Amino acid sequence: MGKVLLIVVIVLVVFRILSKRTPLLACLFKRQKQAKVNTSAPKHRQLFTVLTFAKVSIRRYFRDRVAIFFTIAFPLIFLLVFGLTGKNNDVTFHIGLINQSHSRFSQKFVEQIRSSKTYRIDDSVKNLSQANLKMGRSEIDATLVLPPGFGQTNKQGLPAGKAVIYYDENSAQAAQTLQSVLQGKFESINAGLVKTPAPFGVVAKSTNTKGLTRLDYTVSGLIGFSIIGLGIFGPVNYFPQMKKEGVLRRLHITPLRVWQFFISSVLSNAVIGLISIAIMIAVASAFMNFTIVGNYFELAVLLVFGILTIFGIGLAIGGWAKNENQAAPLANIIVFPMLFLSGTFFPRFSMPEWLQYVTAFLPLTPIIDGIRMIATEGKHLTEIGPQLGLIAIWAVIIYAIAFRVFRWE
Amino acid sequence: MADSIVKVDDLHKSYSGREVVKGISFEVKRGETFGILGPNGAGKTTTLEMIETLRPIDKGTVTVSGVNVSKDPQKVKYMIGVQTQSTAFMDKVRLTELLEQQAAAYGERIDPLELLKEVNLEEKSTSYIENLSGGQKQRFSIAAALVHKPKVFFLDEPTTGLDPQARRRLWDLIKSVKRQGMTVILTTHYMEEAEELCQRVAIMDEGQIVALDTPEKLIRQLLKRGFKKERKVEQANLEDVFLDLTGKVLGT
Repeated sequence: MGKVLLIVVIVLVVFRILSKRTPLLACLFKRQKQAKVNTSAPKHRQLFTVLTFAKVSIRRYFRDRVAIFFTIAFPLIFLLVFGLTGKNNDVTFHIGLINQSHSRFSQKFVEQIRSSKTYRIDDSVKNLSQANLKMGRSEIDATLVLPPGFGQTNKQGLPAGKAVIYYDENSAQAAQTLQSVLQGKFESINAGLVKTPAPFGVVAKSTNTKGLTRLDYTVSGLIGFSIIGLGIFGPVNYFPQMKKEGVLRRLHITPLRVWQFFISSVLSNAVIGLISIAIMIAVASAFMNFTIVGNYFELAVLLVFGILTIFGIGLAIGGWAKNENQAAPLANIIVFPMLFLSGTFFPRFSMPEWLQYVTAFLPLTPIIDGIRMIATEGKHLTEIGPQLGLIAIWAVIIYAIAFRVFRWE
Repeated sequence: MADSIVKVDDLHKSYSGREVVKGISFEVKRGETFGILGPNGAGKTTTLEMIETLRPIDKGTVTVSGVNVSKDPQKVKYMIGVQTQSTAFMDKVRLTELLEQQAAAYGERIDPLELLKEVNLEEKSTSYIENLSGGQKQRFSIAAALVHKPKVFFLDEPTTGLDPQARRRLWDLIKSVKRQGMTVILTTHYMEEAEELCQRVAIMDEGQIVALDTPEKLIRQLLKRGFKKERKVEQANLEDVFLDLTGKVLGT
């Protein structure tokens, strides 16, 4: 919690510096009283221009409820949904249980299964045909049947029987795992009944290192999603609109340079992005047991690079397009593959190998991987050189294109 | 005779093979209000945009205060202010912030309230642009175009779509800008507007200037050619009736 407070404080300070005219900024960029009007801008005023533009667009952003919803609230809702549905990290089998035996052993066995957290029993399954229907819809993984006579005493005076697991092709894997879990259970029952030494065995031991949970994947993926929403869908919507209304044309009349306009946009986007992501991380830490292992500053540096690169794509599309009809399809063509293949919602390791190889080079992939490595694996910037390199290459390519295709009208 | 601040010489412009400005030349004197009149499609806006550095010049030269527009557009941009046809600004930004930003584009820091006072909008200073009326927007965009105190001020059809009162107020504002010593160049298709504001007008038609002189001289020349209006001119018109009934005191 301490770290959460720290980021919130840092964010507030940064925001305050940019939003109010503090003495520090004022004396740095004070205009000379005797400045000659109407000639050309001295060097120190170019920075003043950039900062003023950035300040105004940051303020404007936080007055725009729709924009705030899509970049902050929307990923948060996603996060809550993922967080609530994926909270339980243990293996559970969702099964149907049909007990056809009346023995005391079988009744006790059923009680045990019911009390175990490993199994979730669907009580609506009463017979095999119902079970088949549910398995066909993947509502349950398998059906455990205790046949008539299961658990009745045999000739040796011991309870015996064979339980049957029914499964369909969709859930063969779950059924096999279930079989070995149950096998283990029966072996321990057997050992209690028949005292025979077991020479071989296997024992599971935890390494006590924190592995990646599903939530860790989800949070870094959603940070990537937020960067895309802010960096691409934002400018792709409002740039063509500003062109249509003549807002950019008014700027074109002034001596404002394209690079000044770009830098101020990148700057405001980075500040807005960091604030949004800090809020997401704070919520995930406070309510969902998400912790950042790595260094906050290093994470922020990586995020700024990521935001800068992805925003370049939005600048290129929005800066090029004359209207929304040109911008929207192009943005979708570029965004959707990244959204699904860069590990935003689905981990890349579950893809076929060739696809993993191809998608490793998408611009968003090194950003999400980098976030994961710093935030959940505690790595340092120096250890994620390949990711930073790839982000830098993309940034150069993207901004070269963005400068070339930009038009004010 | 006052020296010329804007010189246009043999200016041409074509769009996809169709020539819309066909070699026009004129000069605008320092401190005067110069009108470019003409029907829609006459080439007024294109001409203005070439002078304003917004459109590449096909042929001919334009200089503003001696600076060639094609060769050093950046320098020209510091000397001119432009009131565009659209009065759109970024939404959700206060008027004071918009003015600060506009001034920052020129590298200048200004007192936005002082400027808002000049266009009678000081009580709207914390409003957003989308909450202003049409006339207020026009006045505000004039303030925005003048943040850097330009030498030449361009207005493209400033009063199109305004009601008579708002138009009169805008005329007063343009006159006060001229009194500050600024050179004003405006396009319009309202003749009474040109007569009210302009010392000299150029009448454009189909990409050419068909007449250029003071409004009085142009009228006198017309009368000399034996022109007679078909209807007797009343001492007042319907607009005067409207203004009288709605109680707006006419501007000086």
